[in-house]
Amino acid sequence: MMIRNQLNRESEKDHFNGLAATWWDTQGSQRILHKMNLIRMDFINDTIKKNLKLNKDIVNDEEDEIFIPGWNFKGILPTEVSQNIQFEQTKKINEMYSNLKLDCLDIGCGGGILTESLARLPIVSKIKGIDLSPEVLKVAKQHMKLDPILSNKLEYELKAVEDLNESDMYDIVTMMEMLEHVDHPAIVLREALQHVKPGGYLFLSTINRDLISWFTTIFMGEYVLKIVPIGTHTYSKYINDFEIKEFAQEFKDEFKVIDSKGCIYLPLYGWKFTKSSGVGNYFLALQRKG
Amino acid sequence: MFRRLLSTAVKSTVPQTADVVIIGGGPAGLTLAAAIKNSPVLKNLNCKLIEGGNLIDPLESFHTTTPEDFMNRVVSLTPATISYLQEIKAWDYVKEERTETYDSIHAYDGVTGSKIEFDSPEIATMCENFNLQSALLQRIKDLNEVSESDLEIVEKTKVIEITTNEETNWPIVQLSNGDSIQTRLLVGCDGFNSPVRKFAGIESRGWSYDRWGIVATMKYKNDAFRYPTGWQRFLKSGPLAQLPLPNGWCSLVWSTTPELANILMKLPEDQFIAMVNAGAKLSPEEMGYLYDLAAKNDDTLIDEINWRLSLFNSKLKPEEESSYPLELESMVTNSRGRFPLRLSHADTYVDERIALVGDAAHTTHPLAGQGLNMGQADVKSLVHTLEVSAQRGLDIGTKFALEPYFSERYPENHVMLGIVDKIHKIYSTDSTPIVMARSFGVDVINNLPFLKDFMVSQISNK
Repeated sequence: MMIRNQLNRESEKDHFNGLAATWWDTQGSQRILHKMNLIRMDFINDTIKKNLKLNKDIVNDEEDEIFIPGWNFKGILPTEVSQNIQFEQTKKINEMYSNLKLDCLDIGCGGGILTESLARLPIVSKIKGIDLSPEVLKVAKQHMKLDPILSNKLEYELKAVEDLNESDMYDIVTMMEMLEHVDHPAIVLREALQHVKPGGYLFLSTINRDLISWFTTIFMGEYVLKIVPIGTHTYSKYINDFEIKEFAQEFKDEFKVIDSKGCIYLPLYGWKFTKSSGVGNYFLALQRKG
Repeated sequence: MFRRLLSTAVKSTVPQTADVVIIGGGPAGLTLAAAIKNSPVLKNLNCKLIEGGNLIDPLESFHTTTPEDFMNRVVSLTPATISYLQEIKAWDYVKEERTETYDSIHAYDGVTGSKIEFDSPEIATMCENFNLQSALLQRIKDLNEVSESDLEIVEKTKVIEITTNEETNWPIVQLSNGDSIQTRLLVGCDGFNSPVRKFAGIESRGWSYDRWGIVATMKYKNDAFRYPTGWQRFLKSGPLAQLPLPNGWCSLVWSTTPELANILMKLPEDQFIAMVNAGAKLSPEEMGYLYDLAAKNDDTLIDEINWRLSLFNSKLKPEEESSYPLELESMVTNSRGRFPLRLSHADTYVDERIALVGDAAHTTHPLAGQGLNMGQADVKSLVHTLEVSAQRGLDIGTKFALEPYFSERYPENHVMLGIVDKIHKIYSTDSTPIVMARSFGVDVINNLPFLKDFMVSQISNK
């Protein structure tokens, strides 16, 4: 309990309690967050697909094996051949993807924007969303009633990550736009990693502590354009992507940073991935070995 | 297998639940149903199609015992539409021997005689509505064979009322067979008077053209042969179009004022055929005289037309003969029909748990043959939007998930409606400066191949 209070100052909790009413207002103040959820889902789906091991379970029968040249076949082989190889691979990947059955945990689930989206994916068999704000959890529980397919896949709990059973293990753990709201991100991240199954993923997104982030998220976002409510962000809590990567070195025998991508909000368009994860908002994916 | 499509007889007061309910079994509704079941992402959605009329038996009998005569409801399909129908593998079932692809349209001015020829390989394909709908039904039956959840077609069933579930805000559709269905997404493919649009309170704006479109299936004189060509003569009252069908048949679409439409609809069929031949060649003054004769039930009408046409033909130089359509000789009995023409555009195509597709969202003048094709493009865009939203785990019935469909289609449809509207307005006047300007414009366009190619590519969506 002591740690929990230390992690989450009352002011943060109060702030999010206040946001509860507008959490699912996709046409109003939370639209930008709902828009961001679209590329969160893209990032998660893409990462999972990219890291499927095509011939993993095939031991004896070479007929079933998908040909992976291991070199730049698109540049060298005739177009028709390389298209065929590509087609075979994509087909197999989609087949493997659709057979997945994943158990998920969403830490800092808030009103359940990401949690509900993950729950609707056919590849997710169960998902638990946890958060520390009772008000937003109430909204999340209320909102899930609007879609009957959610009730047998999704549950919410008022809980801190360190209060989870040590034996609770998940294929996917997510912490989206969460680390920048806690006082000791390293502790929270370390706790979260303990619940990732071997071969499973931890997805997180947060904000680099740089001038651009301050300008876009706080100055423009909160004060000038008023896209998000004032007080949503605290600059000093932003975390640079290299800080997380350095931190991950501590676990390098067990975890690997498999992808990181920046993203930027373009008014009238929505969120877009950028090449640099070192500027502004970014996503990061870690995979546990095994 | 075929029984599986029919609605179940079980009645209950507790609403059934569906993911998608499509209202309307026209080309748009059936294409949407087939496309959803064909999509790897959406195929397992629980999806139902509601149609007020008798749908399955007539479409099945068209498929098994093809009627001899062509039907009078014919549409012009653009290459883009056909390639989408091929993508969802419905085109395989279209009876291609009943369709006609043409690569040239001759458009000419009924007042000045200025003409413009559009040539492009496969500019459009004429196809009976029924041929298309029947193919889509066969495709849906295929897909039902392999799918975990069938697409159910509930026919001969009207929508009595649409209400809202107060807890979930899902629409509940009350049907005339006593069933009610609550649905994640309600799609209106239910035509210009769309009950779904009215339920959603979406405003549709536009105007009546104060014109009727008269359709008929007609045949050219037997001994003549020409490559399939579309003909369109811009008369002041509206364009007269003859669009090719196989074996010397053609589909007539004659847009005209309500007064003239009344006269033309009442004529005996032989006099009607003569009037169409006159409309393709004679001057506005001569046509005015002929309408007067026709209105008076004058027996001399056919002789009068034949005399005037022979005079016209005798003055034609041999090389000019191919600038006019051949003469029509006969028509399918009772194939004459008419429908009102109007422009309308809904303020939005999407709302919470609502999407509008095709004529429910927009109607246009038939002069460019775009109405059905715009609806097909809507279906393609909506299905793509639903796929992307489903892959991102969104509730596909929410306005947030449906918005990309609206933002993709509205501007394109708006431009198309505008272009067609301007063409109608420019040609429905005989004010001298406008007539001179349009003839000059048309002559210029006709002599600038690149500009013509651009226009063709816009109309045929290449």
